[in-house]
Amino acid sequence: MEQINPTRMELIKKNAQIKLAEQGRDLLREKMDALIQEFFNVMESVSQSRGELEKLSDIAQHALLIAQAIDDPVTLKSASFATRRGVTLDIKGKNVMGVPVPIIEKKRFVKSLLDRGYSILGVSSRIDEAAEKYEAELDLIITLAETETSLRRLGSEIQMTRRRVNALEQVLIPELKRQAKYIEITIDERDREDLYRLKKVKKIIERKKKGIKEV
Amino acid sequence: MEYAYVNARIRAMKSRLLDPSLLEQLINKPDIDSLITELEKTAYREELEKAGVLYSGINRIEVAIRKDLVKRFRSILTLIKGGDTEAFLAIILSRWDVQNIKTILRGKKIQENPSEILECMIPAGELDEAALTELVKQPDVKAVIDLLATWGMVYARPLILNFKEFTDTGDMLVLEYALDTFYYEDAISKVKTSESDDARVLKNILITEIDINNIKTVLRAIRDRIDPDEVKRYFVKGSPEFDANKLLTMMKTGTIEGALKYLEQTPYQFITKIPPEYIAAEKISAFEKELERYLVKKAISQFLGDPLSIAIPIAYIWAKYTEVTNIRVIARCKVTEVPEKDLREALISV
Repeated sequence: MEQINPTRMELIKKNAQIKLAEQGRDLLREKMDALIQEFFNVMESVSQSRGELEKLSDIAQHALLIAQAIDDPVTLKSASFATRRGVTLDIKGKNVMGVPVPIIEKKRFVKSLLDRGYSILGVSSRIDEAAEKYEAELDLIITLAETETSLRRLGSEIQMTRRRVNALEQVLIPELKRQAKYIEITIDERDREDLYRLKKVKKIIERKKKGIKEV
Repeated sequence: MEYAYVNARIRAMKSRLLDPSLLEQLINKPDIDSLITELEKTAYREELEKAGVLYSGINRIEVAIRKDLVKRFRSILTLIKGGDTEAFLAIILSRWDVQNIKTILRGKKIQENPSEILECMIPAGELDEAALTELVKQPDVKAVIDLLATWGMVYARPLILNFKEFTDTGDMLVLEYALDTFYYEDAISKVKTSESDDARVLKNILITEIDINNIKTVLRAIRDRIDPDEVKRYFVKGSPEFDANKLLTMMKTGTIEGALKYLEQTPYQFITKIPPEYIAAEKISAFEKELERYLVKKAISQFLGDPLSIAIPIAYIWAKYTEVTNIRVIARCKVTEVPEKDLREALISV
């Protein structure tokens, strides 16, 4: 155990530290509760979007299969040359209880017939439908990227806060309390010793006084 | 033009097309390997063996049937030499030229690797493999158009006329649309000038194709809520029944049901009978399938036409194209284990 001065001043300091640590623990608990609530809100939307994504992915794959089967994969590849372009996204951030989470710009990737870059006369509506389904999937993937990143960051923040609460609750506060107790015991012991000494001195003095009177 | 000899040869080629019972056998094959084994017993054997050197599985089948299609169409081109017939046949086959040129232009615009562009070529038209390789080697869109102009290809004309708009907007749609409309309008103008039976047969098919393309454009534009005036420029001219005004009126109804009402008194009234759930879901591919089936049926029925006319080569080209599509559908569905019901639904049955 570290060297502790068993003084009243030290006891006051330790009590103040205990109060502060307990306040900190309560605050962190409140933060954790808020984060958990936010985590579950986000998780609900993530699991909903995940299910939706799986469904959409199946539909898109089926549409692609039909387009490849009837229109020939080379026609599809040719159409993909016309539609190929980069995807640029504007990403900002916001704070949820001190946790930075991304906000990805909501951009619709589902294009209209005339915006895909190929002539509608040479490309079948099966290819259009496959493109549309994959565009919708991309929309959902980007929304999911935002919510899943938030979920991951909230999750790690909850873990970190829990570790902090545990450290306060299991280590720091008990240790401070133990130290305060030790100081209290030591002070009480010293008080009792002082009292005993005083009584002893008083007795000696009284005995001395008695002896003088008898003489 | 010696039709008796040419059409006898084409009828011999027709006899090598897969009959419905063989297609049924292909559908019943459990996997892609047994499908290849079955196809090796047919006229596709040679191309399957060649493709087997470089590819396996579904790719082997797809490359083989594509090469076989090109080989058959090019052999028809070598049989028919001179006169209007050659020009008429070139009209039918040059749709692959248009498709190839569009692919090259798309690839050049995004500076795609030439080998990737070459993989997408189907040299079934006037432009053979060597010509297409040369076009793919060009550094950019302008060089491709210049080379087409140097070779005296008619398709250079619409591309040159619209190149400025393309450079201003950077929109490939401008060049693609110019090529597509030029193809149909040039074809119609060529068959209109001739009084022959061959011209009449080809014109009939071309007009059906134009109508189908325009109906599909109307339905797709309604589905995507595109402004009718914007879509107007994408209509192909040449059909007496569906002129731009009628198509525009169809578009202005704003609904699929509304547009379908205008088809009730036309040869295309069959698509009004499409199940209402497809209409409600605005599933254009269901309408497209029926329209394509109609076109294929009409083209293949030319086998029953004048045996000494272009009707036989036209019918063969469509029959071969349909067969190749059906084999691809079966192969793709086998690979992805699509239920037999869905497979049968995807087939182009005539």
